[in-house]
Amino acid sequence: MSAISVRNLSKTYPVPFRRLRAFFRRPVKDPVEALRNVSFEVETGEIFGLIGRNGAGKTTLTKIVATLVQPTTGSVAVRGHDSVTHDEYVRRDIGLATAEERSFYWRLTAEQNLMFFARLHGLSDRVAKQRIRELLAKLELEEVARRRFGELSTGNKQRLAVARAMLTNPAVLLLDEPTRSLDPLAAARTREIIRSLAQQDPPVTIFLTSHNLGEVETLCGRVAIISRGSIRAIDTPRNLRDLSSGSEMVHITVAGGERISFAREHLDEKIRELHKDDKRIIDVEMERATLLDVLERYEATDERG
Amino acid sequence: MDNITLLPRRIFAFVARDFRLYVSYRMQFFLRILSVLTIVTTFFFISKIFAGFTDPQFSQWRDPLATWLTGLAVLNYFMTGFSSLANSIRQEQMQGTLESVLLTPINLPTIIVASSAWDFLETTFFSFLYLFFGWVFFGVHYKGSFFLALVFLLLTTVVLACLGILSASFAMVFKRGDPFGIFLGAGSALFSGVFFPTQLLKTYAGSKLGNISLILPTTHGLDGIRQVLIEGHEFAQVTQPLGVLLGFLVVLLPFSLWVFGRAVRRAKREGSLIQY
Repeated sequence: MSAISVRNLSKTYPVPFRRLRAFFRRPVKDPVEALRNVSFEVETGEIFGLIGRNGAGKTTLTKIVATLVQPTTGSVAVRGHDSVTHDEYVRRDIGLATAEERSFYWRLTAEQNLMFFARLHGLSDRVAKQRIRELLAKLELEEVARRRFGELSTGNKQRLAVARAMLTNPAVLLLDEPTRSLDPLAAARTREIIRSLAQQDPPVTIFLTSHNLGEVETLCGRVAIISRGSIRAIDTPRNLRDLSSGSEMVHITVAGGERISFAREHLDEKIRELHKDDKRIIDVEMERATLLDVLERYEATDERG
Repeated sequence: MDNITLLPRRIFAFVARDFRLYVSYRMQFFLRILSVLTIVTTFFFISKIFAGFTDPQFSQWRDPLATWLTGLAVLNYFMTGFSSLANSIRQEQMQGTLESVLLTPINLPTIIVASSAWDFLETTFFSFLYLFFGWVFFGVHYKGSFFLALVFLLLTTVVLACLGILSASFAMVFKRGDPFGIFLGAGSALFSGVFFPTQLLKTYAGSKLGNISLILPTTHGLDGIRQVLIEGHEFAQVTQPLGVLLGFLVVLLPFSLWVFGRAVRRAKREGSLIQY
């Protein structure tokens, strides 16, 4: 059984009171098609990345998995439970951390906020206190535990969101840009935590959306590229990069200081030429394709057509 | 089953949260006590103007101060029953915390009960304060069964909470401009007999306008409580307002829960849960 199963999912945001507006001859906007026939599976213990531009449909997809938005057609199941008909079961299995600062009570302390949500999840006070202590230590938030949420730095607010998502040791973690406002050290530490969660026993399945493509590349086993509501490709970061290998460049420096640059696909041919001309290679540099190149390629295709 | 056993813990979570938020604004508690005392004192002096002038056909109004204080205390409670849920939903939407609450495995009826629990505790305290100040400082005495008065209070509050659920559903879908609030908020003080006997409405404004008071649950609730506390009536004498309130409850409870469920589903479909 997959941890997350998304089947033929489409979401069109209806225009509220469309008929009423039309009746009163008010301008009526078109419904927004946020997702189109999206299907994929995320396996247990996998770190699965979702990348795309702003407005591509990442947040809508995450919210549907989190039961906060209902799909128009298609279905999402988390560990076999349907996100619409068995939403309470789904919410037991997931934790969601978003970069949305407004999702906490600003006049409560970090600890009080976590305690409130732990109680809503049904944890007893004893278990909740223990769990909160562990999480605050793990995410290096102990020093700010008794500070009001409103007084925390943006980075600490974000780490607190991750702590809240992990309160119940959920089997599936949905992370929406978990390192967006963190300093490089804190971001590296958070990535380490994410990686360790997927490796623990039983493993946590991670569904990660991020604009930091380097992060997605290093963390995720598979990545889906979403553009204008459709999934354009799903594969390992390496295979996705290979899709753009035509744009990878090789820079060779030969004895005498001459530097030759060419596309990677011409590598064999160029090496043969240099060998024939008896030129000695003293340095080789590869400019590898990145997920950004892949993303740009799909975006360009969509814009053209 | 799980939800029922966890209900007290979840209610406590909301109460503890709201208490902490309440005490984070330190002055408001003391200022509110002062305002209740000021209102009770004001009505004491107004009641002195009416000494000896009350129309004998309005038996409950022979002691106007007791009648006003009961009316104010109960109106306070009723308004909480009616507005608390819609206000908490609006506040959570405005703060952006509604999504986080709905992300926990908590069902809608639990949110309804738990999110207004603190408001009821707070209002119970301040409503009691009206009666307490009247008794301590101005010699107002109450008779009859406090238990029966409590039954009326709870029943009317639950009926109003059903209207509150409808109001919250409205807030969920339309965000602002709540017709229930306007009707019950402005209407209760005018038509329910908080400040004057409802019979006067018929005399001065005609029977059509006067009959509006009959469709407000607050009229029947307040009437029952006053009959018990001021006139000392027993159960057998107050079955009429009790029956009307039960009728309201039977119709409004399932209807309001159904409407609320649909409102949340609609907000989820439109993706507008955190919009305000």
